[in-house]
Amino acid sequence: MSTWPDLPESLSLPTLSTRLEAAHGWEAKNRLLVQLARELPPMPDELKTGEHRVAGCEAQVWLLTRWQGNHLQLWADSDSRIVKGLLALVCAAYAQRNKEEIATFDFGELLQTLGLQRFLSSSRASGLAAMVKVIRNA
Amino acid sequence: MDHLPLPDRASFPLLATNPELVWLDNAATTQKPRVVLDAERRFYEESNANVHRGGHRLGHAATEAYEAARKTVARFINARPEEIVFTRGATEAINLVAYSWGGSQLKAGDEVLLSTLEHHANIVPWQLVAQRTGAVIKPIPLQEDGQIDMTAFCTLLGPRTRMVAVSQMSNALGVCPPLAQLIAAARSVNALVLVDGAQGVAHQSVDVSALGADFYVFSGHKVFGPTGIGVLWGRTEILDAMPPWQGGGEMIERVSFDGTTFAPAPRRFEAGTPAFAQTVGLAAALDWLAAQDRIAIAQHETALYQQLAEGIRYLDGVRIVGTAPEKGPIASLVFGRAHPYDVAQFLDERDIAVRVGSHCAGPLMQSLGLSQGTLRVSLALYNTQSDIDRLLAALQDTLELLQ
Repeated sequence: MSTWPDLPESLSLPTLSTRLEAAHGWEAKNRLLVQLARELPPMPDELKTGEHRVAGCEAQVWLLTRWQGNHLQLWADSDSRIVKGLLALVCAAYAQRNKEEIATFDFGELLQTLGLQRFLSSSRASGLAAMVKVIRNA
Repeated sequence: MDHLPLPDRASFPLLATNPELVWLDNAATTQKPRVVLDAERRFYEESNANVHRGGHRLGHAATEAYEAARKTVARFINARPEEIVFTRGATEAINLVAYSWGGSQLKAGDEVLLSTLEHHANIVPWQLVAQRTGAVIKPIPLQEDGQIDMTAFCTLLGPRTRMVAVSQMSNALGVCPPLAQLIAAARSVNALVLVDGAQGVAHQSVDVSALGADFYVFSGHKVFGPTGIGVLWGRTEILDAMPPWQGGGEMIERVSFDGTTFAPAPRRFEAGTPAFAQTVGLAAALDWLAAQDRIAIAQHETALYQQLAEGIRYLDGVRIVGTAPEKGPIASLVFGRAHPYDVAQFLDERDIAVRVGSHCAGPLMQSLGLSQGTLRVSLALYNTQSDIDRLLAALQDTLELLQ
């Protein structure tokens, strides 16, 4: 079994929120998402299996979860860098939370707050909804 | 001969009110010229009534308009009006043929040949009827350049081949199969041929009498017309022998609880109230297109495609998938180091609209080994050199950023 990576401090939810809020406009936010994708530890190819694949996304997404005591750990990757940048936000939002917090956390609202609401349009939201479902069922 | 001027963006209200928009998703849907919007509005304002019913002035006017639209469609593809069935679109037209013709004619072991280029709309209806009848679907493989492998096709043809269903122009790659050869070969084994014209109809003149196929289908919205309306053309003797596929008003001759007799084609296949206002819009679109200089338009689209292909040669790591010489103005791109989805996100910021993904052609993408799909640039007559310049500049910047 591969060693699960820790999220770097640059991808903690407070730091990430500050960075995303500071990026004004689509282009800046897209550029930042591409940068975040570089910072999120990659998943080894042997873990990128159909079993870990999240259906319904516009790009390929792999998502692993495990419980450390009461707290959730996540490991996510995508072949798209913008999607992987969003996955950094997913990981930051849900990591180290307990079951109750995960059940009530509103990821859509977080995207709104950070100016990423265009990823909530109906043609894109199905992938995010699928990811949130995997996390809530972890 | 002097060419008519090409239609410009000013004739298309959506393009006129979005001057910065670079619309390169024409294979998904085309924008509508003002004449089409006006025709549909005028119909609702002046002639709206249900067709083939009602002993009143407007009912007759609406019926006249509906049947005149059928004649316009027939003229546009050089067919007879009684061979034109109105459907919701190309997808419904293929479903109609697969269900009615396929359901009544195919037997266990009969073979339906489909090219690997096909859109899901020309695959799944055949799979459904194959499940019901025991018929067998046989995919026709492609050459490396995306063109149909004619040698393999001729090997697949045999006494059990009943239907060959093939696209006029691939929606995903733009490749145009050699229809004349395919149809002649299919004829030699007495197989019928259905041509999916959804992509081709906006770019090439169609003459179904010369084509020699048995069915031709297209959608209105991909040829500058409204959504919700499409066309099935079929040979009269074949349509007449096909059973109804949906029941309701309009498709019957006489109904009683002892039994029902059905109207002749095409009404037999038009159950319920048809999208009659949309047929008026479609007729306006086809009349408008037929009045353009279609040779000049085709040359314009080819020139833009060449400008794009030439520009792409100078971009590192970009490749056009499907390089067969017989191509419509569609370029499907893949990138050495970038995901098509990411590239499209950056293009969208600059108001350049393209499509990414598998373009409803899963078997094609699998055969090409393209798990990320492609970024598809699809042109229409209103695109300009400046559109291509802006696309190429945006691609260059985006690919540097995604290094």
